[in-house]
Parts: sequence; structure tokens; C-alpha cells
Amino acid sequence: MFETTNFGKFTDIVHRSMDTNAYRRSVIADNIANADTPEFKRSVVNFETMLGYALSTEKQPRFRTAVTNERHIAFSRSMDYKEVRPRRILDFTNSTKNNGNNVDIEQESVLAMQNQLSYELMIQSMNNSFDRINMVIGG
Amino acid sequence: MGLFSTINTAASGLTAQRLRQDVIANNIANATTTRTTEGGPFRRSRVLLRPRVDQPYWQSPFLPRPLDHGVGKGVRVVEVQKDYDAQVRLVYDPTHPDAIVSGPRAGYVEMPNVDVVTEMVDLISAARSYEANIAVIDGSKTMYQQALQIGS
Repeated sequence: MFETTNFGKFTDIVHRSMDTNAYRRSVIADNIANADTPEFKRSVVNFETMLGYALSTEKQPRFRTAVTNERHIAFSRSMDYKEVRPRRILDFTNSTKNNGNNVDIEQESVLAMQNQLSYELMIQSMNNSFDRINMVIGG
Repeated sequence: MGLFSTINTAASGLTAQRLRQDVIANNIANATTTRTTEGGPFRRSRVLLRPRVDQPYWQSPFLPRPLDHGVGKGVRVVEVQKDYDAQVRLVYDPTHPDAIVSGPRAGYVEMPNVDVVTEMVDLISAARSYEANIAVIDGSKTMYQQALQIGS
């Protein structure tokens, strides 16, 4: 019912971001639980950058490329934001401790806090969005 | 996936760090035990930790799906191991009942290889890790309760 409206799209994007936040939190919890495990490497989750790119391709590109041959490569390829999935990436390149572990517990704690705050922000904006809809339909 | 698996992951960290504290407490309590059933002085114990999903680390940030075992499920204790690497301490006390009676080390008592300073440092490290896991659980609980309030 709402899929094509601004409200529906907003709800969908916030929903995807909240899912990603829950996913990222389980990765951070695993990093913190393994803060003392030898040879453990931390993981991170990438999502927002790709989501931002996918949303930016919905606008008309400032510089259009003329693609007259199938082997031409366009400067900007349009992308549906629904195809963007969170990706878990292993941070294997460094080790900050002598036992080969690269979990920095302060950094992970800060990431966990950021994660919680951004989740709360999304809940707030979702609530605001519902409030506005309620106001419009007179509920 | 979801917040409940996060709580389980952090709880595995709590279990492991609590066991580390128990083992450290046992080491410190037995810092002067000179006689054990297996003979010789008390040997300190150490805790071996491994991830619950123990997969080899491929040197690549992205993995094909069949090689990937998913998000880790936390930490587990593999073994509580007696430490025979660290040498026992020798203290000269000929009147001690466990003193060595003959040989070049006559008159010396073998004391446990427990270094109280090392144990205290490990204890603080375990306590801090425990607190970090508690913070994750607290935050997840708040997040879940707030998610239940959406639309109300």
C-alpha cells in the first residue's frame, strides 16, 4: 500500500538500516567476546557507503555518458538500493597485540555505543514518521 | 540474526572471563602450596580461549559463501592447562617439612611458579573484559526495549 510513497520508501530504508545495525552489533559483540583470544582477527560491517551510493544514483547524473556500443562503460551505473546488502569484512592486515589478536577493546566499545545511538536515532525517526502519518489520517 | 544472538555472544564472553577470574583466584590462593597429590609444588593453571566458530582466517577480506561460517558466536574455553613452562621458585628453608633433603639443592623448598603480580594483571584484564561484555548486553537490552516501543 505504501511501497511507492515517500513514507514507504523511508520506512523501508530505515528498516534495512536497523537490520544492519543489529547485524553489526552481533559482529561487535563477537569481537569484544574474543578480545583475549590468541590469533583472533576482528571483523567489520560495511553498508552505509554502498547505500549512499545506490541512493545517489537515483538522481540524474550530472554528466551523461553516451553508450553507443555494448562494450562501452558508463561513468555512473544506476543501482537499486534494495540490492545493497551488509557485508562483513575480516580485518586481517594488522595485529595490535603480541598474541596476534587485533581487537582494541576501547575502539570496539565506542563502536558499540555508536551502534546503539544510531539504532535509537532510527527508532526515533521511525516514530516521528508514524506520528506524521497518524496526524494526516486523523488517528 | 538479531539482538538475541548478540546477547548470547556477549554471554559467552562473560562465562570465559569469569572462568579466567576463578582460575586466577585459585592460583593466588595456592601461591605458597608446596605439596600436591601429583607430587611437587602447586603449578599455576592457565585458560586457553578459542572462538566458538573456529574457522581458518583466509588472507582476504571477502570470502566465497561456502568458505564463510557466518558471524562468530563468541568465545569458548578449550582447556584449563597446568603451566609446566614457568620454573618453580626455590626458597632456602631447611626446617620446612617439604625441604629437599639431599643433593645439590638440599635445604631448598620448591615453591609454586605463581607470580602474584602477573596474576593480578591478568585479573584486572579479565575484569575489564567482563565489564566490556556487560556493556554490550546492557546496550542490546536497551535497544530491544526501544524497538518494542515503535509506533506506540
